[in-house]
Amino acid sequence: MMLPPSHPDQATKWENVILPPTKDLHKIDVYRQGGGYGALKKALAMKPEEVIEEVKRSNLRGRGGACFPTGLKWSFMPKAGTKAKYLCVNGDESEPGTFKDRQIFEFNPHLLIEGTLIACWAMGITAAYIYIRGEYGKWIRMLERALEDAYSNRLVGENILDSGFTTQIYIHKGAGAYICGEESSLMNSIEGDRGYPRVKPPFPAQVGLWGCPTTINNVETIANVPVIIERGAAWYAGVGSPKHPGPLLVGVSGHVNQPGVYEMPTGVPLLEIIHKWSGGVPGHKGIKAVIPGGSSTMVLRGEALEGVRMDADSLKAAGSSVGTAGLIVMDEDTDLIAVITRIAKFYYHESCGQCTPCREGTGWLWKLLTRFEAGEARMSDVALLMDVANNIEGNTICALGDAAAWPVQSMLRQFRDEFERRTVDRPDDAPVSA
Amino acid sequence: MPKVTIDGRTFDAPAGRTIIDIAAQNGIEIPHFCWHPKLTPAGNCRMCLVEVEKMPKLAIACMTTVADGMVVQTASEKVLNARHAVMEFLLINHPLDCPICDEAGECKLQDYAYKYSIGESRFEEDKVHKPKRVELGPNVLLDVERCIMCSRCVRFSDEIAHQPVLTFTQRGTHVVLTTFPDTQLDNRYSMNVIELCPVGALTSRDFRFKARVWEMSSTDSVCTGCARGCNTNVWVRNNEILRLTPRHNEEVNSYWMCDDGRLKTFKHVNAAERLSAPLVRKEGQLMETGWDEAIAKAVSELRLFRKNEIAALGSGFSSNEDNYLLQKFFRETVGTRLVDLVEHVVEGDQDDLLIRADKTPNTTGAREVGVRPGPAGEDLASILQGVRDGSIKALYVLEDDIAADPAVREVLGNLELLIVHAHQRNATTEFADIVFAASTFAERNGTFVNFQRHVQRFRPAVATQEQDRALDGFNMSRWDKFAAHNDRWGRGSRRDARPSWRILAALAVVYGVKYRYQTAEDVFREITERVPTFKGMSYLAVGSRGRTLAAAGTTAPAPVA
Repeated sequence: MMLPPSHPDQATKWENVILPPTKDLHKIDVYRQGGGYGALKKALAMKPEEVIEEVKRSNLRGRGGACFPTGLKWSFMPKAGTKAKYLCVNGDESEPGTFKDRQIFEFNPHLLIEGTLIACWAMGITAAYIYIRGEYGKWIRMLERALEDAYSNRLVGENILDSGFTTQIYIHKGAGAYICGEESSLMNSIEGDRGYPRVKPPFPAQVGLWGCPTTINNVETIANVPVIIERGAAWYAGVGSPKHPGPLLVGVSGHVNQPGVYEMPTGVPLLEIIHKWSGGVPGHKGIKAVIPGGSSTMVLRGEALEGVRMDADSLKAAGSSVGTAGLIVMDEDTDLIAVITRIAKFYYHESCGQCTPCREGTGWLWKLLTRFEAGEARMSDVALLMDVANNIEGNTICALGDAAAWPVQSMLRQFRDEFERRTVDRPDDAPVSA
Repeated sequence: MPKVTIDGRTFDAPAGRTIIDIAAQNGIEIPHFCWHPKLTPAGNCRMCLVEVEKMPKLAIACMTTVADGMVVQTASEKVLNARHAVMEFLLINHPLDCPICDEAGECKLQDYAYKYSIGESRFEEDKVHKPKRVELGPNVLLDVERCIMCSRCVRFSDEIAHQPVLTFTQRGTHVVLTTFPDTQLDNRYSMNVIELCPVGALTSRDFRFKARVWEMSSTDSVCTGCARGCNTNVWVRNNEILRLTPRHNEEVNSYWMCDDGRLKTFKHVNAAERLSAPLVRKEGQLMETGWDEAIAKAVSELRLFRKNEIAALGSGFSSNEDNYLLQKFFRETVGTRLVDLVEHVVEGDQDDLLIRADKTPNTTGAREVGVRPGPAGEDLASILQGVRDGSIKALYVLEDDIAADPAVREVLGNLELLIVHAHQRNATTEFADIVFAASTFAERNGTFVNFQRHVQRFRPAVATQEQDRALDGFNMSRWDKFAAHNDRWGRGSRRDARPSWRILAALAVVYGVKYRYQTAEDVFREITERVPTFKGMSYLAVGSRGRTLAAAGTTAPAPVA
């Protein structure tokens, strides 16, 4: 049985468009019966710049974490020129707490392929790479199967749907590096080089894959494109939060009764996602903290969640970010020092080692935190921990440095008392900082 | 012209240039590890972070191109904090064992630790441990723990040496510099990565752990390995050369030199077999003798022959001053027309970077100052033919082991008199009647002319018996300066060798000609007066960067005896 998970108690009503509850939708016949590849046909009848305009009007913002307007990004690609142009679809999805793209690979791979083709048409691209994290073995095979079917149905390759448009799609497997989800590392990885981020500028739209203009979009972003073309930008822009509209795949993990990926419009309150969509916290415990957008986003205190919604602006105002909408819920009994130590270990393990602050700082953060976890840290280490995180932030080649620093900084800001309590030299009568 | 303001000073900033580039050009130091003017920028060390107005974050000066009106701060509080942070990060896993590190004293990380860090570390955790002695190739060893992953060596191997064998493996603090499987760093320029390395990670198998940097004196010189004449520093301790390193000269060798130049051009200077006195053949054996006796003997022997029974060979290994006096003495005083030299060209052994087929540093110069065939075509071939047929009976040879060539060797036995200048016994001295112990390039002043017609100076770095490091203005190491006369390191052997030009001048005096040269510079001054292409030059003008000769067309014909 191949059906995406859904939840009956959802408060905000939503009918899935990215992961519709259609049985065996991953099969090309089923997909086409439901109107699949209709958006492609529609797009091919439009001028490329009209497609870009439509995506711009939809206000679609990237789903890979940065929320950059997709249509604007596409418009950065040079219109003419002798160089090849490339599209990279980023499915490296390696951030702890994030597992939404996997659902698209599994349940609706043709939507991704269709979106890729429309993006290629819009930007005049004749070769696209879908980069999938290597650990997604099963989903790589599923997408490969779907792509084969699309090729054999003449939906990819030469003269697509007799439009005269030709584009190739390649699936590229990652080799187990979080850093390759960073767009410039991803390009180096495709080129066969070490997964090191590139210094920007130049930006990929000028100098990207093999030195050619390149656009990199997240899998979920691309999956939204056929929906925009099919239903129109106006419909899309009206879904959810006006400044960050559209359907959103929210991955919920941690202390909830029904973890999983839920498709919903943007702007759903976090508490509704936790209590209605994900079945609430086991044992009706209180919520100590949530990380709203994948492990690199800033932690929020449980008591500060009232009114906070799952969209870019609301979470920004709350002091965090929507990231990849990977919501990690931690109940009142959670050892946050253990949590942040594990997160820090992840970034230490995944730092590529190219630039100094991240290479050295991530390891230092983790080593310091293991002392907190073991109850062997001193009060002075609390300030040191913050200093080390601050010294990484903003000083690195890519965003991994920030991604490693933010969780530590926010955990220290929100839960400084937990750190102080784990020190050996905190005076017993010392007031615990809030 | 666009303008950029750095630390309150405004400079011209041509489009496409980087902040670090403009700053360096105007004498503003922005500290850096990974950036190097000859390598593509990598932007990885983060040491050159500077504050640029209107940019939200600090920017790396090495890869931020200037824009008109840009305002840059290289020493604001924010910049200094970032610098301190980078230094602290670099030092947390770097071994802090400078006292036993080969790089200490010339280590960028050590220097910056004094200059740009707060001088203490808050790191109390365990350092990462990595392999300590990895052979990257025949000449270069790697201490992985010391590596700060700046990638200079990787980029040099890729971009300059065109042997892309170096890479990083692993991630984060576990990153390891290594060679690709089944490859090694064995290109002809491999040792340049040693100076490029800003820390003690890459060391020379030949030199490592032989001396601390401050124990050695460093003297500007020129490599004698080929006609490129790479600019070098000669490093001497206890009157012994321990290493040669390249010295930057954009017109000649940029920042580089080849491994052969480093390893094969100085060992003979130190050799235990060096001649330390003139030799005169007595009853078939070469016996050490005094200089006056050897010189008197040479003159009296030469006088036994008619002018055209005597030939002289200059040397591409000898200085312009030596070659000039050789041809002057033999043409003007002895009166022979037979002056030439043996060329040492290895066809095919050359490349597009530095290495030249001509394996001498000065054949161009020797030719220029008059060591070239006479007006009737009296060249090397005719000299050798004359020796073969007995018409030439006496031969005088500057520093060159001409008998190493079998074709030359087979005729030398015909000679009635062979006088050579040599550094040690060799195939040619086996035939010689008189051998003058010549000082090497490392023991005297002089000039060479490279294949680009670039006149370059070399200076004494190793003292001979007649020299005194302090009194003769040698570059001095701390040991040279502060050691007592009976200290162990003051006892390096000093040979009784002399510059070839001085030996020739002494011969001339005995011949009855007044050669009033006190120094090599006196000889050079005469060259500038008598050889038009040298006109206007002086040791001062040649300096440490060299000067190019006037166009070849202006060369006067060889003087006629």
